[in-house]
Amino acid sequence: MLSLHLDSLGKSFPGLGSPVLLVDFLAITAGERVAVTGGSGSGKSTFINVITGLERPTSGKVVWSGEDITRLSETARDRWRAEHVGLVMQDFHLFPGLSAVENVLLPARLARVADRALIARAHDLLESVGLSRPDQKIETMSRGEMQRVAIARAVLRKPGVIVADEPTASLDVEAGETVGRLLLDMAAEAKSMLIVVSHDQRLIDRLDRRITLSAGRIVADDLREEVAA
Amino acid sequence: MIRFILADLRRLWAGAAVVVLLVTLATALGVTVTLQERALRLGSARAADKFDLVIGVAGSETQLVLSSIFLQPAPLPLMPGEVLAKLSKDPRVAWVAPVGFGDSFAGYPLVGTTRALVGSTVSGFAEGRMFEKEGEALVGAAVKLPVGAEIKPMHGTAQMGGETHAGVVYQVTGKLPPTGTPWDRAILVPIQAVWHVHGLGHDHGHEEEEEQHHEGEVAASGGHDADHDDHGAVDADAPIDENFTADAPGLPAVLVKPKTIADAYKLRQEYRNGNTLAVFPGEVLTSLYATLGDAKMVLSAVAAGSQGLVAAALVLVTVTHIGQRRRQIGALRAFGAPRLSVFAIVWLELFLLVALGIGLGFLTGLAAARLIADAFTARSGIILPVGFTGEDWRMALILLGASAVLSAVPAILAYRQSPAAALRA
Repeated sequence: MLSLHLDSLGKSFPGLGSPVLLVDFLAITAGERVAVTGGSGSGKSTFINVITGLERPTSGKVVWSGEDITRLSETARDRWRAEHVGLVMQDFHLFPGLSAVENVLLPARLARVADRALIARAHDLLESVGLSRPDQKIETMSRGEMQRVAIARAVLRKPGVIVADEPTASLDVEAGETVGRLLLDMAAEAKSMLIVVSHDQRLIDRLDRRITLSAGRIVADDLREEVAA
Repeated sequence: MIRFILADLRRLWAGAAVVVLLVTLATALGVTVTLQERALRLGSARAADKFDLVIGVAGSETQLVLSSIFLQPAPLPLMPGEVLAKLSKDPRVAWVAPVGFGDSFAGYPLVGTTRALVGSTVSGFAEGRMFEKEGEALVGAAVKLPVGAEIKPMHGTAQMGGETHAGVVYQVTGKLPPTGTPWDRAILVPIQAVWHVHGLGHDHGHEEEEEQHHEGEVAASGGHDADHDDHGAVDADAPIDENFTADAPGLPAVLVKPKTIADAYKLRQEYRNGNTLAVFPGEVLTSLYATLGDAKMVLSAVAAGSQGLVAAALVLVTVTHIGQRRRQIGALRAFGAPRLSVFAIVWLELFLLVALGIGLGFLTGLAAARLIADAFTARSGIILPVGFTGEDWRMALILLGASAVLSAVPAILAYRQSPAAALRA
């Protein structure tokens, strides 16, 4: 169970005049399901990178349940991310040559935490995302199946937050539908916070809250009830 | 992690195979040069081991050793027989044996010598017995003739257009055990028979003149007048007389076994005057090794250069490769793989390939050196001991160490790159 506080957050890149991300304050409670939208260049990717510790902000704090990850070293942030964040990306980043279950377990194995229980969980997860052949090579799968493997990989260590970056953008409608449903189910099962960057209106509509970014700033932050009303 | 690396290598198997092949060839080149040079040195030193001192006519030291110990066919001038007689009576000499060459049979050189030499240099016979009569012969271990075979010697060698000595037939009475020297390919006959075949030593009155006439010929190169069948004949049943007197015929070389090292140096000094030349085979070989060493240095430099080129090419290829894999590496980090794991994956992947190449290179080098050595042995009789020594293992460790450092270059690049930047690319 993780909650997020952002405080006077700024991220700028050398050579660019205005900061690409500027958030005075943002709080997301544990278990909340949030959509992040905005045009290209609105700072969505930077937002994701900063809150997951992939990038250090230029200023401000990223506090996850009391721990400011901007103060951690790069190695410590890697370790923190491995433990607390489940990432799902638009183009999967699965590794060819390995089977589905090996892909699910790869990060855990590289971090030397893959014990018997975790291996069993990997098999269970593949089953629950609807893949019956855990030993199938990843390159022989369809894109929809691949994203389902990626989801299983993301939730393997029961992360406090699942971050999905355009998870359905490269899928057809049907596969996108399945992936969206799986993300919600998995987040609910692990009681994880879910942050989804997406343009997919059907997926956005299923989330509790919608944050809209423009030029690095939050321009709208609505709860679904309000949208509906 | 290993499984991930193997999956990766399987996917890129063609590139991986080329890397291994390049490293193998570059390593094998260096290894072959080193092994072959060492084998040549050891082999020739062992071949010369039994012979302490060689005395011949003043001239080229190298030629004297090559002809008398390595049995290279070349005309040697003759020295007077009295040298042999004087040495036989010298108290500082354990044994002395004349060697006379020039004839051959079926490609094997015929060497005229004495029972003393045979008895002192080999222990026992593989088959048969010592020659007792003028018409008998011994064959070296590598001569493909059975005991009892007949030998019709040819003057010079077949390649040089030699002629068969009419009416001269030796019978093989024994076969010597292998020695790993050129003498394994030799046919040994009594020196007395060699003299008689060439018409020497029958008529002492004409010896002076005979010697003039035959100078250079016993050592033999062919291209003679047709009259040399008149030289003489062997009395096959004549007993062997090995008490050499001052009027013994001329000789190309004598091999001397001094009693002590001090005697050896004194004899060498004494017989290095205007007419004769005494040499330790070792000293001649040492100067040959110096030349060999120079050649080896050039070849080693070439080999090292090729290894350097391969190393540079590998760094280039892997750095490019890492560039292409930035996204993959970034993703690994993003999903929580520790930085050290990423470093280890990239490092191990390259190091495994290079180490495999080095291992295969050493084996290939060994096999190549063995092949060359076998071909050399078949031609010369000198056995070349090809094998690895501590020096080679040290070399292997140095190469592995260097490749470990080299593999770290792309690994450090992968370690340092920011996952977010890599994913954006």
